[in-house]
Amino acid sequence: MVALDDPPAVAHRSSPTRRRQRSPMTWLRRGGLTTLVFFLPLLLSFAYFSWWPILRSLVLSLQQTNFIVTEWVGLANFERVLADPLLLTAVWNTTYFTLLAVAIGFPVPILLAVLIAEMRRTRGFASVLAYLPVIIPPVVSVLLWKTFYRPDEAGLFNTILGWFGLGPLPWLNDPNLVIPAIVVQATWASFGTAVIIYLATLMTIRTELYEAAEIDGASILRRFWHVTLPQMRGILLIMLLLQLIGTFQVFTEPYIMTGGGPENRSMTLLLLIYRYAFVSGDYGRATALSLLLALALSLLSAIYLWATRRWSTS
Amino acid sequence: MRRRTRRAAPLALLGVAAMILSACSGGGSGDDPTDGAPADTDAPVTISVGGKPTTENPEQLADFERRLDEFTADHPNITVEAEETLWEADTFQALLAGGTMPTVMQVPFTEIGALIERQQVADITDQIEGSEVLQHLNPTVMDVVTDDSDRIFGVPIAAYTMGLLYNRALFEQAGLDPDAPPQTWEEVRAAAQAIDEATDAQGFGTMTLDNTGGWILTTTSYAFGSTLQSDDGATATIDNPATTEVLEFYRSLRWEDNSMGSNFLLNYDDAVNAFASGQMGMFVQGADNYSNMVVNRGMDPQDFGVAPLPQTDEGLGTLGGGTISIINPTATPEEIAAGLEWIEFRSFQQFTDEEVAVANAEAAAADGLAVGAPGLPVVNAELDAQYLEWIAPVINVPRENYELYLSTVEDIPLIPEPSVKAQELYASLDPVVQAVLTREDADIDQLLTDAQGTVQAALDAG
Repeated sequence: MVALDDPPAVAHRSSPTRRRQRSPMTWLRRGGLTTLVFFLPLLLSFAYFSWWPILRSLVLSLQQTNFIVTEWVGLANFERVLADPLLLTAVWNTTYFTLLAVAIGFPVPILLAVLIAEMRRTRGFASVLAYLPVIIPPVVSVLLWKTFYRPDEAGLFNTILGWFGLGPLPWLNDPNLVIPAIVVQATWASFGTAVIIYLATLMTIRTELYEAAEIDGASILRRFWHVTLPQMRGILLIMLLLQLIGTFQVFTEPYIMTGGGPENRSMTLLLLIYRYAFVSGDYGRATALSLLLALALSLLSAIYLWATRRWSTS
Repeated sequence: MRRRTRRAAPLALLGVAAMILSACSGGGSGDDPTDGAPADTDAPVTISVGGKPTTENPEQLADFERRLDEFTADHPNITVEAEETLWEADTFQALLAGGTMPTVMQVPFTEIGALIERQQVADITDQIEGSEVLQHLNPTVMDVVTDDSDRIFGVPIAAYTMGLLYNRALFEQAGLDPDAPPQTWEEVRAAAQAIDEATDAQGFGTMTLDNTGGWILTTTSYAFGSTLQSDDGATATIDNPATTEVLEFYRSLRWEDNSMGSNFLLNYDDAVNAFASGQMGMFVQGADNYSNMVVNRGMDPQDFGVAPLPQTDEGLGTLGGGTISIINPTATPEEIAAGLEWIEFRSFQQFTDEEVAVANAEAAAADGLAVGAPGLPVVNAELDAQYLEWIAPVINVPRENYELYLSTVEDIPLIPEPSVKAQELYASLDPVVQAVLTREDADIDQLLTDAQGTVQAALDAG
């Protein structure tokens, strides 16, 4: 969004008359150097911990290295990534996971936030409850859910199913259930943050709007549709984008719960990258796939922003 | 204030430039340090060694430090910097890339093939020739660290063969004789059924995750009569009758007898925990797991059982594993020689010096560690027998329970792991094992054909 807003502003600032006044001397005299010095720690941190690694991975993707002898191989790493039959499986699994995670994980927090916002006395308590799962360290919560999903009768979910004479289901052992099962866990673990953000946005919507709608005889559903949603659209769009990018990079859950199994049915792109790097020691191929993923996500984000640009500018 | 800031700014800029430059210079390629003059073994040299016990194990740490002091006294020209670094698959590459890999560190057998292939380990052939003890290591075990052109890349310091681990208590509960473990796969199947019926535990189990499914399938395929790769590592031979038989064996236990439990996504820890806690009757695993099960996971010493890996008529042998001390590929000849001195002192002196042997064993026993646990000797039979005689009064492991294993360990041939891209081969086989265990209608032939294609493509890609 920033990128779309910026160009006109930049064009304005660098108009010919203004530029002429800005010689290095005036820059110096106006304290430009001081600004730079204060800016340095930030610049340094980003350069060392973010931009340098990015640059390094660009280089690494064109090399074959054991970190002792390094060889330039051109685009061979990319060719090998694209020729890997597991790539298609991983792309499909990741896409399926993302769609399912967004289909469940996007509306649920909105509805919960709206419900919590309606509560008068218990609002604080309810938001704490909603946020609790986020506080649990990810690995702990994934391991916890792994035992919930135990495939024998002793598993939590199978015990519950047993009360109704159902199951036991194999859960993570079932090729068709494994992704939905992981999505449920991932949603449970992360929806709290979204609820809190939505709740904060809901608090900023002016009550007069609701009052006016009520006077016009709008039902709860219509008020939600015509007042709440349009007022939240900016944040909704950003959250959806963040969720898309976030879920596309799913790793911890399948890594701990299933190791990509059964039969690679939960093999995601990041898990594949991890395998390339840390199982095969093939850093070239790992960085090549990372770059392809980054490219795909940037493209996705650009298309998304372009497609929703009219809707997002209020 | 302002003036001072201005003067500081260019300096800061210089700092940034220096930092970026130093970062750029990292990760560059080094020259081969092993070229040139032979090692001068009297020159002062500093080496770093990994595997120092952590402070949670004060007795082991004290023992380590005592040995380190003795070593330094014996070798005044060698300075040893001990660190706690241990092998981890996902940090090893970073150690190399960051130049912080210790001169000497330990890696599992499973990794050495890939390390040699990727030239991430020093060639120690020239330096090892000078060592008396290291010349007399078990030749079966030395094969693992020797490449096709007879160059040596490490010193095996502990070894084991893959065997059939079984829970003796569960055997008794199921009316089986714990002193007569199964010796054929039919007997394994029958015992699994008996355990499954008589106890709450599952009869048999196998790991399926993090390449362990492929690892155990490979091991068991050896016992059924086939390797999964040609000797030169150029051709995958996954699609073979023996491996099909193993998978059919899994299928019978899983879908006909239902004696393999209900969870088929097991990694190493899952399986080991299930076994140690008495939830799994038998599984194929390293025969050296006594300490891991009894000392680390609290299994009753009398419950731990290990049998030789059953072999069919066509059986080739069993896969071996263990720990290898390797040397940093960037080490100089002097550092390699010093590193080997340390390895010899730390891991082999008990085979040549009775006093050290007894002192080490007594210290270990006093700390509640296992003395005399079953394994595969890394030194030749003569040295090993002598060592066992020295420490006989201190042995605290019920070795009589492993009679069959110990009496046959030298007879069953040790087959090395696939020499090229073993981990990728295993990774391609994990899903095959998972398929057979989670889908009753899994097409074994098709699964093996697919895996064969994938692995062959990986081998062809070089």
